[in-house]
Parts: sequence; C-alpha cells; structure tokens
Amino acid sequence: MRVKLLYSTDLKAIVGALEAKGVHPDPETLLDHVVYMFEIEDCSRVTTHQLVRHRVASYDQESQRFSAATKEGVVTPPSVAANEAALRAYEDGLKGVYAAYEKMVAAGVPKEDARYILPTSIKTKLVMTVNARSLMHIVWQRTALQAQWEIRELAGALHGLAKEATPELWTRIVEK
Amino acid sequence: MKASLVWSSPKPEMTIAVAMRRCYSTKTIEEIEIELEKKGPEYWKFLLAKCLQDKSLDVLEHFTMSLLLDGMTEEEMSAILRKFQYVRATSLGDSDWLVSVNARTLVELWRDGGGRPLAESIVIELRKQGVSPLFDELAFR
Repeated sequence: MRVKLLYSTDLKAIVGALEAKGVHPDPETLLDHVVYMFEIEDCSRVTTHQLVRHRVASYDQESQRFSAATKEGVVTPPSVAANEAALRAYEDGLKGVYAAYEKMVAAGVPKEDARYILPTSIKTKLVMTVNARSLMHIVWQRTALQAQWEIRELAGALHGLAKEATPELWTRIVEK
Repeated sequence: MKASLVWSSPKPEMTIAVAMRRCYSTKTIEEIEIELEKKGPEYWKFLLAKCLQDKSLDVLEHFTMSLLLDGMTEEEMSAILRKFQYVRATSLGDSDWLVSVNARTLVELWRDGGGRPLAESIVIELRKQGVSPLFDELAFR
C-alpha cells in the first residue's frame, strides 16, 4: 500500500487571518476548516469498502468499468501468506476467477458486467479529500486494535501524514 | 456581504482533473500528474467542462477553500447550514464568519436562490485573486 498527501490546508494562513481580526480560535473549531487530500494506491477493495463508510469525505476511485482490472494484482492477507495450504487455495481460486473474467471479456461481455466475478482483494487506487474532524474520527476508529489489519495500516498512514503536515493540530487536539 | 480568501487548494483545476483521471486510469498519481501537465490547461478545461456537463460534480469536491466573510447574520447563515450540509462556518462575532466550502458546494450554492448571494461573494473574491479562471469561466459565467 502507498499513501501520499497531495495537499493540506495551510493552517498558519487560517490562524494568521483570524489573529489579524483579533480572534484567537479554539483549536477544535479549526478541525472543520483544515482539509487533506490523499492519494491511496494498492490497497484492496475490502479496505476501501470500509473506508467509504466514513461519509464526510470525498472519494474518487479507479473504476473497474473501464480499466483493465486484471493488471492491478491482489492483496494477500498475512494470515493467508503464512499458511502454505491456505495460500495455495487462495491462488488457485484467484486463477479460476481471473480466467473466467478474461473469458467473459473475450466473449464480448462488457467489463462493467465481467467485473462481478472479481475478488474484493483486488488492488485499487483512489483520491480522498477529508477534513481534520472527519479524519480524526477515522483514525480513532480504524487504528483501534479490533480494527481489521489493512485499514489499520491505512489509518496509521493517514494519521502520520496529517500529523506531519499540521503537527499543531494533531498534537494539541487529537492526541490530547 | 464580502468574502476575503484565506486559503484555497493549490492548482485547483489540475486537482479536479487529477480526480477525474483517477476514475478512468490505471496509472499512478505521479503518471497522471505528468500526463496532465503535458496536456496543459486546455485539457483540464475540457475535463472540467465534461464533469459540469455530465453533472459528475463529485470531482469538484477536491477543490476546497476557506474565506473570511462579513455581513452575514446568524439567521442567514443558519438557513445556509440547514440546506447545505458541507458548508463549514465558525462565527467570529457580529456578522463575521470563517467559512470553508468545496467547489461542488459552491456550484450548488450558485444555482440555489437562497445560496446565490453567498456564492456570488465567494466567486467575486476567487475571481479577484485569480484562483481558478478556467473553473470560473465554465461554472459561473
């Protein structure tokens, strides 16, 4: 998985503009005004299905209607990768699924229909724009120990990048 | 009502184009950015026009902005917030506000009778600051 921050709100510009008006804002109110845009690549659709349940965010994801889905590869969970018999079953299953997908496309079935057979482990790419309040909620929920391993990894990466971009906000509010 | 821009997304039209291409390309983000830089603003304008024409306004949500606003009463702002759930507003006292919106919400405000005065003050400020001339030309002229 690869996560990249494309831009974030210039927090200093906002604080500076408010201070010029003699307003010293409660840092928590700034959570609504600070926005981050991320690129997320090579995580599974299992994880993006969980991610988009966080609705106060904007998502644009690679479409399987138009792209060649079979070029994207899949995510293999560590529990499967570490178990020889499970890994064999996983890989055999995937081979069958991809072969059926290719056969359907070759037979003239549109990609938007052939994709119904594709696994949710398939890798995907998306951009996500989210404000700090909503991101704080995602990080709080999805870095919890009971969260699923892949979205925990994603939430950890989002947290790290947001904190690096706007340390004042994350240190003063989120980690308090 | 007067808006003063505090901050907006860098290269907003290219950002919208990146979001559009993300949906239909298997390329990495760096490859998409290189492709868009190479094709230039005319291509970004083509993509913007297409998303407005197709009413695929979700890609506009990645262009965001924060403004100081004066001359808007509590009642007026409450009416806006009830109708437009993605407007973020913090009262600074009197009739002053810190407001954050994305470009999709700005278009929706512009097209709504109640939202139009707020949208106009924001569009005038974006125009004055030269933030997004291509988007301005396609969405608000």
